[in-house]
Amino acid sequence: MNLFRSEEHIKRWLDGRSPGATIGVGKLSELAHAWWSDRLPPEWQPHTREQNQAVLDRLGLTGPFWQLA
Amino acid sequence: MDERDLRLRALTYGLFVELGRAPTTGEVAGSGDLTEADVISGWQRLHEQHALVLDPLTDGILMANPFSAVPTAYRVQADGRWWYANCAWDAFGICAALHVDGRIETSCPDCGETLNVEAREQRPDDESLLFHCLVPAARWWDDIVFT
Repeated sequence: MNLFRSEEHIKRWLDGRSPGATIGVGKLSELAHAWWSDRLPPEWQPHTREQNQAVLDRLGLTGPFWQLA
Repeated sequence: MDERDLRLRALTYGLFVELGRAPTTGEVAGSGDLTEADVISGWQRLHEQHALVLDPLTDGILMANPFSAVPTAYRVQADGRWWYANCAWDAFGICAALHVDGRIETSCPDCGETLNVEAREQRPDDESLLFHCLVPAARWWDDIVFT
């Protein structure tokens, strides 16, 4: 789960491996806030798989790659 | 997750943020009126529930996601401290968890060029960068360190 300068850099880094998924860093920031913003309060409760999947879906991260199980 | 484990997790995360590093079993035990054996067994249960990640060699904390207990390629300046994140997602996650702006420093895994990102009000200042996730979501926890 890395940051890259461009698609060209990702392709070179993959070195023939199958690519995963690429999103812009703006979308990544949205995802991080949706995923992690509730982690520190003492009243935190674990997310269910359905809740986590809903976060991904809401951000348009759909399709087989983003299916949690 | 039962109330006992939720309390232990909250104690552990609270100390991580207070200290700026992973707490020891003794520090958590002392803050929660627990024995170190209670903490060790509780951390193991939290590890099994993916609520934190233990170092298999030491049984200490390796990851309290989004925070890393060990140095990584993702350094985050936030809330007056430098932190290590487990990956790019977690780097933004540290700002999100702390509810503060921050600065992320890393390098392109391909060319090694330094990449610095300022995260202000939940937005990166350089939107041209790309995030690549190699492992499909269903397999993230098969090997979370590799993921």
